[in-house]
Amino acid sequence: MIKIRDLEKIYRTEEVETVALNKISIDVKEGEFVAIMGPSGCGKSTLLNILGLLDDPDNGSFLFNNIEVARFNERKRAELRKHNIGFVFQSFNLIDELTVFENVELPLIYTGVKSGDRKKRVEDVLDKMQIMHRRNHYPQQLSGGQQQRVAVARAVVNNPKLILADEPTGNLDSSNGNEVMTLLTDLNEQGTTIIMVTHSEHDARYSHRIIRMLDGQTVLENIMV
Amino acid sequence: MIKHYIKIAFRNLAQQKVLTGINISGLSIGIACFSLFLLYAVHEFSYDRFHQNADRLYRVVEWWEGKDRAPGGSGSVCTPVGPALKKDFPDVEYAVRMKGNGCLARIKDNIFHTSITFADKDFFDIFSFPLLYGNTQTALQDPRHIVLTKENALQLFGTTNVVGKTLELKTDSAFEPFTISGVAENIPANSSVNFNILCNFEHIANTPMVQGSNNDWNMTIGLGAFVQLKQGSRLASEHKRLALFRQKYLPNEKQDDVQASFRLQPIRDIHMNPQIEGGANPGNSWILITIAAAVLIIACINFTTLAIGRSAGRAKEIGVRKVMGSQRKQLIGQFLAESFVLSVLSAVIGLLLTYVLLPLFNQLADRQLSFSFSRFPELIWLLTGLTVLVGLLAGSYPALVLSAFKPVEVLKRKVRVGGSNLFTRSLVTLQFVLSIGLIVSTIIILQQIAFIRSKNIGFNKENIVMINTGRVDSKKIYPLYKQVIESNTGILSITAGEMGLGAGEGQMGRGYKNHMGEKTAIIEYPGDYNFLNTMGMQLIAGRNFNPSLASDSINAVIVNEAVVQDVLGTTIQNALGRQLFGAKDSSNPKTIIGVSRNFNFEDLTHKVRPQLFYRPSNLEPSRLFVLLQAGDPATKLTLLSNTWKKLVPDAPFEYSFMDEKFDNFYKSEERWSAIVGWAGGISIFLACLGLFGLAALAAVNRTKEFGIRKVMGATVTQMAALLSKDFIKLIAVALVIAAPLAWYFMNDWLQAYAWRINITWWVFALTGLFTMLVAVTTVSFQAVKAALANPVKSLKNE
Repeated sequence: MIKIRDLEKIYRTEEVETVALNKISIDVKEGEFVAIMGPSGCGKSTLLNILGLLDDPDNGSFLFNNIEVARFNERKRAELRKHNIGFVFQSFNLIDELTVFENVELPLIYTGVKSGDRKKRVEDVLDKMQIMHRRNHYPQQLSGGQQQRVAVARAVVNNPKLILADEPTGNLDSSNGNEVMTLLTDLNEQGTTIIMVTHSEHDARYSHRIIRMLDGQTVLENIMV
Repeated sequence: MIKHYIKIAFRNLAQQKVLTGINISGLSIGIACFSLFLLYAVHEFSYDRFHQNADRLYRVVEWWEGKDRAPGGSGSVCTPVGPALKKDFPDVEYAVRMKGNGCLARIKDNIFHTSITFADKDFFDIFSFPLLYGNTQTALQDPRHIVLTKENALQLFGTTNVVGKTLELKTDSAFEPFTISGVAENIPANSSVNFNILCNFEHIANTPMVQGSNNDWNMTIGLGAFVQLKQGSRLASEHKRLALFRQKYLPNEKQDDVQASFRLQPIRDIHMNPQIEGGANPGNSWILITIAAAVLIIACINFTTLAIGRSAGRAKEIGVRKVMGSQRKQLIGQFLAESFVLSVLSAVIGLLLTYVLLPLFNQLADRQLSFSFSRFPELIWLLTGLTVLVGLLAGSYPALVLSAFKPVEVLKRKVRVGGSNLFTRSLVTLQFVLSIGLIVSTIIILQQIAFIRSKNIGFNKENIVMINTGRVDSKKIYPLYKQVIESNTGILSITAGEMGLGAGEGQMGRGYKNHMGEKTAIIEYPGDYNFLNTMGMQLIAGRNFNPSLASDSINAVIVNEAVVQDVLGTTIQNALGRQLFGAKDSSNPKTIIGVSRNFNFEDLTHKVRPQLFYRPSNLEPSRLFVLLQAGDPATKLTLLSNTWKKLVPDAPFEYSFMDEKFDNFYKSEERWSAIVGWAGGISIFLACLGLFGLAALAAVNRTKEFGIRKVMGATVTQMAALLSKDFIKLIAVALVIAAPLAWYFMNDWLQAYAWRINITWWVFALTGLFTMLVAVTTVSFQAVKAALANPVKSLKNE
């Protein structure tokens, strides 16, 4: 599904040049659950942003479903993103002005799903995430765990092929964290590919494979058995 | 999608109550202000458009142009021109002459002063003044029939259906009965053609007042003529045909230095053509629209700067939306939807505000404007366009800038578009440039008015009562009235003149030969022997008129200094005994017996023009001038009024105070200063409203910095100063930009006055200081609030 080769990302300021990704090459197959680990500043999040088509690499190749996307412009990236990728963030990133229902509905609006259809799909996914009873609440009225469940609901409502999760349990206590990890595992078992950045060895154990990074490069891969 | 945008827009507005309040109140005030000024301009430009055949209706004007004079004209034409145009040109469908006069109306024993207009019977065929009662075809058939307006009928009879009733009018020497044949709807406020009482022109055609002018092409009696051309006629632009026509009736007219011609002026052009006497200056309407636009721009800037200021807070939302697949154009749509929701809300409130403020504005602008979409249908699209424009103006920058945020950066909080970027600063500066400019202009206009009022105009305008004797047998009444009045204490002197003095009184001039043999106009004033003494006009050489010298009422004149300098080109002493010869007829020269000091008989936009006084042997005063002892004018007025009533029971006692008559010259300046002053005040208020919001946002954006500074030991004052400093700098820059601009425009405005103030530096200093003070107070409120916040909390929040 994902094939990156010699990918480079360099951040430049007037005086300093920071190599965030240094000719990194990774493959992720469809249906895989991959965890990316490494110390702060190793390039995990940069990699995730590039995989999520939120950022573009400076050099290298990025094949997404056999399509070269490394040089896609913003409009094309947005188009590919909204149909194929769901995101889960550490800080949830729900829109405070929208209710739970409306937050989850958002990706469907942008992919042009009709109103009646939207309602059904949002209700289905809220039901699945056991958060239906909170549908009319605003994010500030929910606990962290509930907020992350909403974020996961939002990430999956469009049935994406790939979910990118950036430290999804980073802001949660262990019980809420486990709940979210169970949700992700369930989604993966239903066929969704998941790439997750995490600091937590405990969470990484839910994945099939751990890629360890240091200074913008992969240093080790652990296959989980 | 649109539904989603609007829903979010409303929710955002509801959540940010203070900012929404600032935006809506600012935009509403801006829109109200703009709507009022727009209404004024639409009204001014809508004059005379309501006539059904307005595109074929023309006023006949006398037009002059020459090498040494600006082209110009007058709507006062000779009596025979209207009928002759109809007779000579087959494309003239109708020609109507109109002549207005003051008159007295009597109902039982009550006498009212009113006015009557005599017009040819085709009046209702060319002008669209519908009749409430009566028939337009027959209303003016009989010279003894009159048409009243609804308002006048109500005023005189207390009811509107008065057709068939009789009204006694004194249009000449005695009261005569007239039958009311029609009642017209009130004349619209935007009509140049007006009447209270309308009567057939035939009624006066053979009176001594008009008779002599009926076939005289050289005489004007203040009569206007209108023609309606047939469809397709181009007579109005065919100046050659009109020139031949003139030549036919004025074969001996010399066309040397000044060329005179007849022109046909479109009726819709009458109100807004300053080249022809009585026409308003369209520039004034444009100035008003510009001021209104400035106020509106200030309100729109508030919206933009506050939206940018809030962008840090909205960055996350934008980032999330982008990650969820929103394209840039969808975000632009969302932001524009928000600004449109706001502009529609503001337009609704603004229009309500306009409705409430209209009476006040009418007072300020001296107009009778009404907010009527049926009368001004253009207002519908103008206001819709305005709402859309405000939405676009206010929303486009936030829409374009915020939608361009990169999702990764905003989600990682790398983007900081606070209230301090260059664009926001420029906008705030622009707001204060406009506000300071308007305030400086107001101060200068007020200073100029005060200067004019206090200027010694060369005679005593205080404590002089001017009595109107235009409608009485003044030759008989004046000596009697004088005799009775003069013996009373408190009455210092009484004199008479054939003309009035001051605003709206008119002048009379004649051409004389100057020392180069060229024609020069001298304003003539026929008055009594003691006119100069009573009015406090100073004789600087020669003597005054002497009642015992018969020759003094034949050809003796007293001239002002301007005659000596500009006409005679000599010294004051040399002027005495010199003769003035008429430019056309030099057989009866005037002898100068005295020279008076120049006095400003016109408003101070003019220099003192050459003027002479003479005492006609057959003085027929139209005004009496009574000099009162200072203090307690009420008792003296009662005396004047009671004496009048005893001597002239059939005419009302009409008087005015001389100083008021002269102050009236500057009514329009006063109105302007009030309008500009209000606009200045409103713009400062709006600019400060925006500043308040920006300061609040700046304080929020700098919460962490303030927390750290406080932990490090900064005091509240230091932090308040820190926040205020940025804004004060902007106002200082605004002052530097606004001062020369305001100086330039106001200096240009002052050039219209022959007597004017010098613009002083302290006007700018005072305005700058005032603006600074208001702004600092506004910002300090937020600064102190931010500085007093608990640092632990602010750091934790960050």
